[in-house]
Amino acid sequence: MKEIIKIAQLKKEYTMGKIKVPALNGINFNINKGEFVAIMGPSGSGKSTLMHILGCLDTATEGEYFLNAKNVSNLQKKNLATIRNKQIGFVFQTFNLLPNLNIQKNVELPLMYAGMSAKRREKIAKKVLADVGLSDRLRHKPAELSGGQRQRVAIARAIVNDPAIILADEPTGNLDTNSGNDILSIFSDLNAKGHTVIMVTHDPVVAKKAHRIIHIVDGLIQNGDNS
Amino acid sequence: MAITVSEHFKVGFSDFWSRKVRSLVTVIGIILGTMSVIVILSLMNGINKNTLKWMMERGGLSKITVRKNWSYENPGNVKEHFVWKELKLIRSLIPEAEYFNPQIQNWLRFSYGKKEFHTRMYGVVPDFTKIEEWDVESGRFISEFDIEQSNNVVVIGTTLRDELFGNKNPIGKIITMDRSRLIVIGVMQHRFMKNNDVVGNDNALAYMNRRAFMPISTMIHKGRAKDNISSFTVKAKSPEAALKLRDKLEAIILNLRHRERVFDVNSAKQQAEDMMKNQKVFQIVFFFISIISLLVGGIVIANIMLASIQERTREIGIRIAVGARRFDIFAQFLTQTILVTTIGGILGIAFGLSLLDVIGGYLEIELIAGLNVIIISLMVSAGVGFIFGIVPAIIASKLNPVKALRYE
Repeated sequence: MKEIIKIAQLKKEYTMGKIKVPALNGINFNINKGEFVAIMGPSGSGKSTLMHILGCLDTATEGEYFLNAKNVSNLQKKNLATIRNKQIGFVFQTFNLLPNLNIQKNVELPLMYAGMSAKRREKIAKKVLADVGLSDRLRHKPAELSGGQRQRVAIARAIVNDPAIILADEPTGNLDTNSGNDILSIFSDLNAKGHTVIMVTHDPVVAKKAHRIIHIVDGLIQNGDNS
Repeated sequence: MAITVSEHFKVGFSDFWSRKVRSLVTVIGIILGTMSVIVILSLMNGINKNTLKWMMERGGLSKITVRKNWSYENPGNVKEHFVWKELKLIRSLIPEAEYFNPQIQNWLRFSYGKKEFHTRMYGVVPDFTKIEEWDVESGRFISEFDIEQSNNVVVIGTTLRDELFGNKNPIGKIITMDRSRLIVIGVMQHRFMKNNDVVGNDNALAYMNRRAFMPISTMIHKGRAKDNISSFTVKAKSPEAALKLRDKLEAIILNLRHRERVFDVNSAKQQAEDMMKNQKVFQIVFFFISIISLLVGGIVIANIMLASIQERTREIGIRIAVGARRFDIFAQFLTQTILVTTIGGILGIAFGLSLLDVIGGYLEIELIAGLNVIIISLMVSAGVGFIFGIVPAIIASKLNPVKALRYE
């Protein structure tokens, strides 16, 4: 299987005043294309930091991160924006939809930043929203939807650019069990279609949906480390 | 990967529209500022045109006036007036002058029957009507023949006519001036120009209607006036030629008076330019005051944009997460600010134009905002958005996406 992510000796330190606080203490792992991986750990373990680095929202202090065999550890911010746009789709616990835009416009957002014409954007966004079962809600604002529906919009937005990996940060954290299960089965479906899914969670039941679980404690990987 | 300008405008406009009330409140300062820019620029234009009109009414811009220089002490004790003979010489030295008009004046008492009127009597030549662009409304003006013969004739202004004759036709009537008896041969056209000053007569030219005119020779030979001509006017072929002729005339007169500046030689064109220059100072001051009000509006906008960025921190984080570059964020907020101030500018122009109608009607001046004034106002308001939008936009584009996404 082809490696899509390779992490080598990744360290991250935060500077708070004069004190340096370590968040990641040199971790290694690989993720193959088409895997469904859960990253688990208690709060403060460094899983969110790892997620932000994987999503190119943040950069590591030390170590290397290869995405699709390309070293992205030392890229410029401008290039990181392109990677976020083309290779990564984010799904957040709090949905993070823009409240002023209707859901079609929300889903079009990554395509707009990719420089696509309005006409093509609309076509693609409509199709992806149909895939998550929201064809009849195109003009609705996020506030008019249920939590589960909002998360489906967020998933549609995450996959609209056909990214290499989908990063989900506690995607069921704000949902009731039924809606949560719906969302998890969408992730399973996407994974079955070939998408690589990485999901951060603290819930073991949720994590079990993944094929592999990486446990992080105090900035170090405990098991699942396949390097 | 690029996002087009029109896309930024669409985003900016939908931002503006989704926060209608706030956007309008934000923009009030800009509306007022642009309004004052447009009103002041048009007002200045109108007043300039009016000044020029006033100069034209007074005999046009080609006129040159020679008068006694009251501020000169005359240390050489040269003659402070001309005699008739000298004026004939001066006339022969400036053949390029179109008209030549020496004048003498005296404060005199007129009477007709029991009615009396005190006013200034002018001794003039026939060229007077052409040089002043002011002719008789009835009867005739003084002729060359009147000059040669020193005829006892007089032409009066409309106020003088009304005071002495009421509704009667004054032509052919005989009035008494001191001990001389003069035949009224004409009445000058009534002169009127709306006076915009708060104080004084409604008619800025009222003083002209009080005057009376007689042949200069009559005044010298038969009136109490001596051969003592303290002022005269000359008319050049054009306002431009007037500037040259003025210099030449000044040189001739300085020669005649041994380089003593006992006479002032002024061209109306020069005076108009000086007046415009004086007005320009006020105009610049007023313009800056309106610019300051725009700047205040701009500062308000910068403030609101900063607050709005704070409020939209999470949105910025989301946009960055889905692939917005820092420049996209910068452009989004800058475009939005420019859009807000431009919309304010357009509203300000609309209000300003209607305000101009009201002011113009009140002052009875034609106030028209030219296309250039409208374009300047629009550019200034957009420029204010640009200047005051830059800092908030930079701040927005520099947000840390991880922190922004966590912002509550």
